[in-house]
Amino acid sequence: MSSAAAISVDRLVVNRGGRRVLDELTFDVAPGEIVGLIGPNGAGKTTTLEVLATLLAPNAGEVRIAGYDLRRAAQGVRRSIGRVPQEAALYPTLTGRENAVFFARLGGARGKGARRAAAAVLDQVGLAARADEPAATYSGGMQRRLSLACGLLGSPPVLLLDEPTVGVDPQSFESIVVAIRAHARGGAAVLYSTHQMDEAEGLCDRVVLIDRGRAVAAGTPTHLVHAAIPGVLVDVVTDEVLPDGWLGELAGAGVSGVPDGSTGASRGSAARVALENVELAPRVLERAARGGKLLDFRMHRPSLHDAFLALTGRAPRD
Amino acid sequence: MTALGVIIAKDLRLLLRDRAALLFLTVAPLIVMSVAGFSLASLYGADPNEQAAYELPIVDEDGGDLAGQIEERLRSDNNLRLRRVASRAEAQQLVRDKVAGSALVIPAGTRDALVAGRPASLLLYTDPVKFLERINVALRVSKARDELADAERVRIVAELDEQRAKVRAQLDNLEATVERVRANLEAVRREAGEERERAAGALDAEIERLLAEVSGEIDARVKELVAQVDAAVAGRVGALQRPARAYLDELTTARREFEEWFAELQRLAASRADRIPEPPAFPEPPPELLRAIEQPPAPIEVPVNLDLRILPPLRAALDALDAIAAGDVDVQIPELELPEAVIPAASLGVEEISVDGGATQINAFDQNVPGFSITFMLLGMLFAVALGLLDERDWGTFDRVRSLPVSVLTIVVGKLASRFTVGVLQMIVLFAVGFVLFRISLGPQPLALLLPIVGIVFAGTALGLVVAAVAPSRDAVVPLGSIVILTMAAVGGCWWPIDLEPGWMRTVALAFPTTWAMDVFNDLMLRGRRADAVHESVAVLFAHGAAYLAVGLVLFRRRYSKA
Repeated sequence: MSSAAAISVDRLVVNRGGRRVLDELTFDVAPGEIVGLIGPNGAGKTTTLEVLATLLAPNAGEVRIAGYDLRRAAQGVRRSIGRVPQEAALYPTLTGRENAVFFARLGGARGKGARRAAAAVLDQVGLAARADEPAATYSGGMQRRLSLACGLLGSPPVLLLDEPTVGVDPQSFESIVVAIRAHARGGAAVLYSTHQMDEAEGLCDRVVLIDRGRAVAAGTPTHLVHAAIPGVLVDVVTDEVLPDGWLGELAGAGVSGVPDGSTGASRGSAARVALENVELAPRVLERAARGGKLLDFRMHRPSLHDAFLALTGRAPRD
Repeated sequence: MTALGVIIAKDLRLLLRDRAALLFLTVAPLIVMSVAGFSLASLYGADPNEQAAYELPIVDEDGGDLAGQIEERLRSDNNLRLRRVASRAEAQQLVRDKVAGSALVIPAGTRDALVAGRPASLLLYTDPVKFLERINVALRVSKARDELADAERVRIVAELDEQRAKVRAQLDNLEATVERVRANLEAVRREAGEERERAAGALDAEIERLLAEVSGEIDARVKELVAQVDAAVAGRVGALQRPARAYLDELTTARREFEEWFAELQRLAASRADRIPEPPAFPEPPPELLRAIEQPPAPIEVPVNLDLRILPPLRAALDALDAIAAGDVDVQIPELELPEAVIPAASLGVEEISVDGGATQINAFDQNVPGFSITFMLLGMLFAVALGLLDERDWGTFDRVRSLPVSVLTIVVGKLASRFTVGVLQMIVLFAVGFVLFRISLGPQPLALLLPIVGIVFAGTALGLVVAAVAPSRDAVVPLGSIVILTMAAVGGCWWPIDLEPGWMRTVALAFPTTWAMDVFNDLMLRGRRADAVHESVAVLFAHGAAYLAVGLVLFRRRYSKA
């Protein structure tokens, strides 16, 4: 663990309702770094962010934010973080500007300084033109951008983002991502919780995969993917459902569930095979054609999504 | 601006943007209190807008001026709306048709019976089901009757007083006349005295003159007679004196010769002279005879002036006049005391006096404006504080603010302070509207109403925090809060006078701030008490608020403060 980390989490334990939600979770985030916090539902992502935002007291472990010990200097931690929660967390009847000014003032800004700071972040997320409209009239994407703007107020050295792009359109997504990257470039440590693996893969410098409260993998997305699935994936689409055991015994190859709908599965039955060696691809296609008419196939490198599923399993988490 | 100020300003701004909440805080209570006020106006007896007056059909079978006076007096009662109908049957039908709860008939001959001193009655046909209306109407008819009787009594007394004044004036006039007569008599008496003095003087002079004249004449006559008598007496005395004197002279000579003889004898007897007996003594002539012989007869003494007193009868008359003149003219009028006027027997009235000097009859709105203001303020507090906090939780803003350098206490106090301010303003507005529209009493110290207003708003605000902390979810706030607040309002006397409740319920009510608030409002507004008389109840009110606040903060912190 780096002593220079803006966020330092060491063996963090949180129990809730007799259940261990975080189990000796450990990770850190350096200044200027964007770290994705990924994991299935109930893995402990939101709980982690709540602890870091001083909303929830941990049962054990050490947490330091911008050098402040979470237990001993909660106010210092609060002055150091910008938090963008899952929900918009806005006052719907206040305008975008009023919301931003309110949070700026609570963050310590005064008078015109608060208004200037609010105007700056509203401009940063592309809401300057509609800043004086009630937040309730904003689209979901605009509300997300406003929420992010409120989190960016005062240029906090630590930014905690809990699924900030849920339900936003590509434009708003782009705007949010640009703002986050700009903030990180300014030296802030960003902890980004998300379900969107492609989002994490494209945005984050590193990811920490947690499951059942524990960090099960950590590293750059590429590293994590490679560690989870070395080789390539082949998606095949046939006119009939391939029978069990259709691949037979093929060294270096294994069925890896079903591909995403984008592979054309709606036209037939799709299957995914993981190959350690790309040279095994023709033999996979040959065996698939025996089970049905081969309609389509695609060979690609595994994504973080694939790695995620490989690491956390395909069973739904309730 | 501090964090607390920022939070208060934000909450006030949120409220101003919430039109539904504003309507609920102001228009809704006004509508409810108007409806309740007009509906229950007759319950309290005073209806300032005459909207809840009882319909009272009235039949005048008597046709006299008394009936007119009864009708006029009843018509002046705001609580009655008179409806003149032609016949008794029509009036009865209106009661049967439930148009009216009572109908008044002034039977024929009522006035004549009263004038003749016979008892008479007004007839009140009633619907027994309309108990309250029946009681109220009967009370007001009786009141009108008593007022009429009193007015008649006052008129008679005034008339008697007028007559007594007239008699008194006549007596005064008589007294003045007598006084004048007395003065005249006195003058006459003085004149008579003077005349008498003059007459007496003249009479005395005349009498003196006559007396002198008569006395002189008498004296002359007497002197003449005396002289004549003296002469006659002297002549006769002289005639007697001379022989007597001659006898005495002879006697004296004989005595001297005897003595000389005897002396010779003795000498002659010589030695025997001792033996010669003493000769008998010669008798001496009596001295009176000697004086009478020696002296001339004394003249007859006659007084020179005869003191004659002649009292003519006029003198007695003068004495009578004198008696009159000397006495006072005593013309006394006996003290005439007019007998006290016989005042006709009056009806024995009952004068109702508020022990604190306030009005005895209250306006229904005097009860409803504070009552429903409290109710809606508490409900508003429930929604504003409890739901407001839960809204913030649901919106995520509560946690967002908590992750800023602001304490939970500041967040809660900020929200409570803003809602407290709004609650106080709400109450002030509702009372102001009540004063302007419904003419409620603000008591002798309107500013003192701020005490219970601030007290109950404080308690309501803190109670909202308790509900927010206790309610498991937003959906639970309304039923939980409503039950608590509506119970508090109802039992605490916000909807009806607490005295209508049974004793045990009034005891239970002491546990509610609404009870104390209404008690203070009633003291200040209706009983006319001043601020220093309600400090204990106000203290209890604030104690409720402080207790709620302490409990609310503990529970809220336990529930929401996870860090």
